[in-house]
Amino acid sequence: MNMLKNLFQGNKLVIGIPYGWFLLLVAIPLLIVMKISLSEMEATSVSNMISWTNGLPTLKLNFANYQFIFSDALYVKTYISSIKYALITTLICLAIGYPFAYFMARAPKHVQPTLLMLIMLPFWTSFLLRIYAWKTLLVSNGVINNVLMSLHVINAPLEMMNNSFSLTIGMVYSYLPFMILPLYANLSKLDLRYLEAAADLGTSPFKAFWLITVPLSKAGIIAGSMLVFIPAVGEFVIPELLGGPDTLMIGRVLWDEFFSNNDWPMAAAVAVVMIALILVPMAILNKAEAKLEEA
Amino acid sequence: MATAPKPQTDSKAITKEVLLRVEGVTKIYDGTVKAVDNVSLTVNKGEIFGLLGGSGCGKSTLLRMMAGFEKPTKGKIFLDNQDITDLPSYQRPINMMFQSYALFPHLSVWENVAFGLKRDNMPKDEIAKRVDAMLTLAQLNKYAQRKPHQLSGGQQQRVALARSLAKRPKLLLLDEPLGALDKKLRETTQLELVNIIEEVGVTCVLVTHDQEEAMTMASRIAVMSEGYFLQIGEPDVIYETPNSRQVADFIGNVNMFEGEVIVDEPDHIIVKCDECTHYVGHGFTGNKGMAVGVALRPEKIMLSKDKPKGEYNWAEGVVTEIVYFGDHTTYHLKTAAGHVIKAQEINNTRDLSCGLTWGDHAYMHWGDLAMIVLTH
Repeated sequence: MNMLKNLFQGNKLVIGIPYGWFLLLVAIPLLIVMKISLSEMEATSVSNMISWTNGLPTLKLNFANYQFIFSDALYVKTYISSIKYALITTLICLAIGYPFAYFMARAPKHVQPTLLMLIMLPFWTSFLLRIYAWKTLLVSNGVINNVLMSLHVINAPLEMMNNSFSLTIGMVYSYLPFMILPLYANLSKLDLRYLEAAADLGTSPFKAFWLITVPLSKAGIIAGSMLVFIPAVGEFVIPELLGGPDTLMIGRVLWDEFFSNNDWPMAAAVAVVMIALILVPMAILNKAEAKLEEA
Repeated sequence: MATAPKPQTDSKAITKEVLLRVEGVTKIYDGTVKAVDNVSLTVNKGEIFGLLGGSGCGKSTLLRMMAGFEKPTKGKIFLDNQDITDLPSYQRPINMMFQSYALFPHLSVWENVAFGLKRDNMPKDEIAKRVDAMLTLAQLNKYAQRKPHQLSGGQQQRVALARSLAKRPKLLLLDEPLGALDKKLRETTQLELVNIIEEVGVTCVLVTHDQEEAMTMASRIAVMSEGYFLQIGEPDVIYETPNSRQVADFIGNVNMFEGEVIVDEPDHIIVKCDECTHYVGHGFTGNKGMAVGVALRPEKIMLSKDKPKGEYNWAEGVVTEIVYFGDHTTYHLKTAAGHVIKAQEINNTRDLSCGLTWGDHAYMHWGDLAMIVLTH
């Protein structure tokens, strides 16, 4: 009995560590950011935000930053543009990653670890270096243009740099492994007997893929898409290095507010809106999903 | 080879129209491993044909070749006189009930049963009618909207059956259909399954490692070992007149006596063994002096404390083991020659029937038609 109790407390401790971590490094900083976004100056302390009238505390909140975000067309446009690029990146990653993960999961068991290694190999070099490498590939006098010109495929260099093309390539390239890995984990667990059963019931392999494989890998598709979409919305480095004046991304605006304008309350508000933009639809989706499962 | 004491009559009303014909089928994996070795068989319309064998005997591979999941290395498979050897599984009018059931986890019971019908582009109202009829047959109407994981093992098994029958296949393949159920449920489900199959009137090939399942369900059984058939026949024929030591040993329990034929007459033979002399009340194809095996099933041996009369068909031993099964008890007796013979007594009274206990000296005796003379 005593041992069982100890074990139970051990459980609590083990579970408690990540929760403590989450509280300390995610929840509290997020609350601080929210507090900053609602105050007029960064240094405003919480006590200064509360005024006492007739012995009752009144919270003085400053919503001006939020009002400004939603009234300024540039912010709204940037948010929409960020979500658009993140969506495009997610869809392209899914289109490339799904067949990739599918064939990897179907490859002979002994080559699978090698294939998996190859997916993770890029992580062994610095992320920044890899993005810079794309720069040297895509610029007007870069590797691709030089090769195509010397082969006389093209006469003038292609405009591939600092536009939506280079941005999308950079994002897809960087986030593809995050799509492939959860999809591979899911697809490699797929019981092939379901496909045999489908064939047995008169389903051609192509149809069976859409009727059985895809629905059964839904969890992998969702996990992979989230892992790509969420960081892609707030991506800063890739738009900064590969993007151009037309490729508006909220990450760059955030940077500017924080470090160029030094307007911390405004920057905090931009960040909070971004988080809300991602989390709220996701929470709704999750709820709907759970309801659907129950029915 | 042993001749049966009485001629075999085909008592079961089975039309002798051949539905499935397997001709010299061989399956070799990786160039060397022979899973199925030159097997031929015919299955008649309306029959439940059992493929019985231990794990790795090739029975599942043979079934998968019938379903179209595996291609034979050699040989042909015909269904209704049509060569289906190269037909992909999704074009064969054959359905299979999988051992694991393989129910689609993302679809409801109703959708699972309708799955095959939808692939045939059947009109919607007809699909609904057929699915409802199948669900009624399998007593699943209440569970139509449930997902497979919300059902018990027995219910899942019935969904799998309903799904495999929905398309009205010419041939139904059953891969260890009751393997995942517990013993009690298996017994009731066995009969339920046979009733449903007979109601639908579909021809079946049943794969099982469980001889009891094969005996109760199949009208004919093929005993398989190492990729080939040891014997094909009706359950009682296989049990009472196995054609080899291997079959006798695989089906049920058996005591094997090795001996030599000392008298060979048309109406009887006498076999001399270490612990006894067998008087077998029928002739055999062989000759005097031949070394043979005499197989004797435990339930055909009677035990007594008194010495039996005559010089044939009895042996003596000391009780070394008593295994109580409830409805019967198996006694292990060690003979002077050192062999252990098993004898099975029905517990028809509430005290142990012959009052034997460990260490007791006892006599075993049996009738002159109780044993099987085996030359292989």
